[in-house]
Amino acid sequence: MTALDPTTAQLPAQPKGGTPRSGQHTRLWAALLALPTGWMVAFFLSSMVIVVLLSFGRTQADGQPVFSTRLDNYAQLWDPLYLRLFLRSVSYAVATTAICAVLAYPVAYVVALHGGRRKNLLIAAIVVPFFASYLIRMYAWSALLSDDGLVNSLIVRLHLGGGVQFLNTPYAVIGGLVYGYVVFMILPVYAALERMDTSLIEAGKDLYHGPWRTFWSVTLPATRAGLFGGVLLVFLPALGDFVSAQLLGGPKTFMIGNLIQQQFLEGQNWPLGSAMTVAMMIGLTVIMVGYLRATATRSREAS
Amino acid sequence: MSARSRRVERRPAVAVAVTVVFFAWLYLPIAAVVLFSFNSVKSLSTFRGFSTRWYADFVHDADLVTSLVASIGIAAVSAVGALVLGTMLALGLSRIRSRTGRAVGAVTLLPLVTPEIVTGVAALLLFTGVGLKLSLVTVTLAEITFSIAYVTVIVRGRLAAMSTEVEEAARDLGCTPWQALRLVTLPTLVPALLGAGLLVFALVFDDFVLAFFTTGVSPQPLPVRIYSSIRFGVSPAINAVGTVMLVLSALVMVLALIVPRLWGRKSSSLDLITGA
Repeated sequence: MTALDPTTAQLPAQPKGGTPRSGQHTRLWAALLALPTGWMVAFFLSSMVIVVLLSFGRTQADGQPVFSTRLDNYAQLWDPLYLRLFLRSVSYAVATTAICAVLAYPVAYVVALHGGRRKNLLIAAIVVPFFASYLIRMYAWSALLSDDGLVNSLIVRLHLGGGVQFLNTPYAVIGGLVYGYVVFMILPVYAALERMDTSLIEAGKDLYHGPWRTFWSVTLPATRAGLFGGVLLVFLPALGDFVSAQLLGGPKTFMIGNLIQQQFLEGQNWPLGSAMTVAMMIGLTVIMVGYLRATATRSREAS
Repeated sequence: MSARSRRVERRPAVAVAVTVVFFAWLYLPIAAVVLFSFNSVKSLSTFRGFSTRWYADFVHDADLVTSLVASIGIAAVSAVGALVLGTMLALGLSRIRSRTGRAVGAVTLLPLVTPEIVTGVAALLLFTGVGLKLSLVTVTLAEITFSIAYVTVIVRGRLAAMSTEVEEAARDLGCTPWQALRLVTLPTLVPALLGAGLLVFALVFDDFVLAFFTTGVSPQPLPVRIYSSIRFGVSPAINAVGTVMLVLSALVMVLALIVPRLWGRKSSSLDLITGA
């Protein structure tokens, strides 16, 4: 945006008749960029290239992965067992995203519009635990929900029933994912609500009267950008997660992440694991591009 | 603070109820971890009395203490490394106007939209591929790579809000570009840099996935150690370690939110996180 600002754009952008100064600072910026760019190429881009290359590789008899040019690993992915697992992962991630959206709106709404002076404190109270150890929080749920955990012992003590099996169910895994990532939905929705002109809500109330209709026809469209952003921020990590299914679920609820993790750290089939990783990235890219296109069109129609 | 009142309606009862339940749900498991870490018996459902025996177990477990120290070290080195590289990147990207510059900018944001398991797998393959032995060093390299993008986003946000006129004035007064950067721009960035550094420290200290894929056998970062003991079943000793981790990272996060505010104006990393 600074480029369009008339007060700042003129100075660095225009070479002043070839004074040594402009050349000097272009060199400075290029020098500043060189090291981090080199680092990202060496440690990030090259690692991604290796994953793609190894996905065409094979495992030698002695267990060593070697580069090759076969499509075997990709052919293996069409196994119905794997396909079912992919489908399960996507459905868990979609359910997680939907629950996060339904949960995030009332919370963000109350904090942004009725938080008053404690607004920042409330947001901090949401953010701090979310950045504190994901693993410990998942462990906490597994301890609470286990067969001899606090929740079940309360159910038995209050004579509500004979105990419920929570762990090893899809509900526990999706619940864990929601618990892990809901903050990524709350923050963008909160930011959108903060920026929103609240007199619109008043106007909506005058026109439509009911709070629900006002929400659907005024508040939701006005905060659409925040919701769209939140959907991506929750969906991406939820789809790749393996900790929730590992600690709160079991083999029946495993997701892509568990499968990939097994290939690398248990099954030791690195080329197959690489193919799964690449397939997941391709799937995610397709979903993301489709999603971004759809939301871009809707935003344009709205304005 | 806007003069216009935000309170345009009565509190929506349903939304308030959901929010109350949300906060309870958010803190219930954390409270349980902390409570049972002080339990005098080995139970996760019945609290029999106050005791610090699980903390004593933790302190006397040399492996766990080594892991804790290792995690703090990794987080500190990663925070400094990511801060240096991320700030260089942010400064370079904010001033360079070429197409290559923009392409570099887009590539450096990729780690933010890549699922962590992918980054982890890729780092594992890279390190073993070039023959690096997996250790705390490889964990740190991977964590720095992953954290650069966070610093870049925060510092670029701050730079965009900053006027370039002061830096230009410094140059008109005879500063070299480097002097102008060092004497004018960097001091203005200090609050944002502190916030970003603390945020990266907290993220890396707690990070499990990347550490899990890139660590060697011993010593391991604390989250990886905890993960392997959880798989053998829950135990109150883990609650004590978990409480220590939660308290440490909560403290660092609170600092990350507060420290930039000490400089007065509204510029905490909270605003950067929420995008406000």
